[in-house]
Formats: sequence, C-alpha cells, structure tokens
Amino acid sequence: MQLKESLSNRKTAFVSGSNRGIGFSIIENLASQGCNIFAHSRKKNSVFEKKINFLSKNYNVKIKPIYFDLADTKKLKLEISSLIKSQIAFDILVNSAGVIHGGLFQMTKIDTIKHIFDINYFSMLEVTQLICKTMVRKKRGSIINIASVAGIDLHEGNCAYGTSKAAMIAFSKTLSFEMREHGIRVNVIAPSLTKTEMANSREAEKEKSFLTLDKNPLNRMALPMEISNVVSFLALDMSSFITGEVIRVDGGNRF
Amino acid sequence: MNKESNLKKYKNSFIEVFQIKEKELETLEYQSIPDWDSVGHMSLISALEEGFNIMMEMDDIVDFNSYKKGKELLLKYNIKF
Repeated sequence: MQLKESLSNRKTAFVSGSNRGIGFSIIENLASQGCNIFAHSRKKNSVFEKKINFLSKNYNVKIKPIYFDLADTKKLKLEISSLIKSQIAFDILVNSAGVIHGGLFQMTKIDTIKHIFDINYFSMLEVTQLICKTMVRKKRGSIINIASVAGIDLHEGNCAYGTSKAAMIAFSKTLSFEMREHGIRVNVIAPSLTKTEMANSREAEKEKSFLTLDKNPLNRMALPMEISNVVSFLALDMSSFITGEVIRVDGGNRF
Repeated sequence: MNKESNLKKYKNSFIEVFQIKEKELETLEYQSIPDWDSVGHMSLISALEEGFNIMMEMDDIVDFNSYKKGKELLLKYNIKF
C-alpha cells in the first residue's frame, strides 16, 4: 500500500489523549505517514515531549503538544479556538481520549456515569464541533472516533464506559450523514481490550472479567499498533469511499 | 478594517456561498432560498468565520437567521458595518 505517498502533502491531524497507549501509537503511526500533528494530553509532561520530539525528528514532521483537561470545557474551547484563529486547518481528527470504567449499574453512582460521559462523550462533541469548522472550510477531512467493542456488545458492567462508547458510535453515524455534503468522512474504530497501561488499571480488570480472551480466536489482547494502523488507513484518501462505518479491531471477538 | 470593507466582505460571503445577486440580500432569510438550508448555513458561517477570523458562539450560529440579523450578531465580534 502506498500509504506514505497518499499523505505526502502533509496533512494536519489533531489527536486527543495521545500521551500513551493507543493515542501515542496513533501519533507515531500518523507521523510515519508524514502528517503534522497537534498531540493533545491532559497535563504537561516532559517524557511525552521527549517522545514526540524524537518522532518529529525521526519522521521529519511537526508535532506540537497541546495541554488541557477534557473536563475543563472553557480551556478546551480556548485552546482549540486559538489554533483555528491562527489559521491551522485540520485534515484529520482522532478522538482517542477516554477513561475506562467497569461496574454493575446497581453499584455505580450516577455521578460516576456522568463523569465518564463528560470525558468519553461530551468533550469529544466539543472537540469535534470546533475542529469540524476548519474541515468545512476546506471541504474535506476525516474524523476517526476510537470507541470500543464494549460500545457494541454492551454486556454487564458496561453501564458507563460501554454506553458512553455506544453514544459515540451513534453520534458518529449521524455526523457522517451531516458531514457528507462538506466532503468530510466520519468513522469509528471499536478495539477490544488493548495491551496498554489502561488495560492494567483496576477499572480495566473489572472489564476484563466480562471480556475473556478464550472467546477471541487470536487468543490475545490487541497491540496499540494494530489499532493505529487502522486509524492511518481511515485518515488516508485511500479509504475515500468509507464513511459512517464502525470497524471492529478485536481479533475476532464475539460474545 | 473599516465599515465599508467589512460590509463588502459580509455581502460577498453570501453572494459566493449562495450564488445570489446583491439586490437579493436585504430581504434574505434562512430557508428563503433553497441554498440557504442547514448545509448552506454551515458553509456561510464557515465563510464568515474565515473571512473575519472569528469563532462564532453556537447560540449566535443558531440565531443567525437572516442577512440583517447576521449584521447585528457580528457586532458582538467587533465587526462593524
């Protein structure tokens, strides 16, 4: 596949939640395809900056860190608006930030569910609404939302995380119709449990109890690169006839 | 930027997005012509934001329902006519 050639005209991407795990793999993969990137992270982080400087030099692209807490709507708007006002035009948006949660509904506080939705869903709407503006101007763009198989399969324990990802999937399908007139594609990737720090968290452990690997024909967790490869494909013009899709990257998991 | 050039830019945004004549502008309202539908509206807002280098609030985007109303709303962004 001529991935690099397709992106050689230096597309500009915004990737939320990119300091580690799937998000970092996404910026690494997009950088390797020649994209300039605004790499979002919640907090200023010198290790992250060293890593993106390395990627920047290695792939000869520009990667700029952007810091704000997705729960802070005012700061989110301020930061993204200032990028847009400085005439940055985005070709690619990857909504990769998210928090995980596992727990039965009867044991989950409503405030917890609201918090999960604030980060996984509402902040994603805010980011998308702003970045879409520059894509509408250019009449092109690709939006890729990182959901989860938990947002499709929706088993017990998914009352917050799974439903927030289900909302993301439903929203993405709607947006794909609204954006088609503007030449903007919207797709979703639904990974299964992926080998990241997040997968080792206490919350993910609860999730794992519902997602057993023996139901996965490949009998292992996904690697971040296996998710970011699909992101790069959807970011490229090579996938120009794909929109409104939800692509499972799950090693064949079926429940 | 002076009032005259602002007005010219404002008018041109409508003329270019909706492919209409200047004499039609004064009475122009949202959905009064086929091209000013919701998709056209986003293209108009996009042209105005780019032209004046502003970011409009969602409330203003929703309230922007005519050529005249748009001029009032843009005053909030220090765009004078």
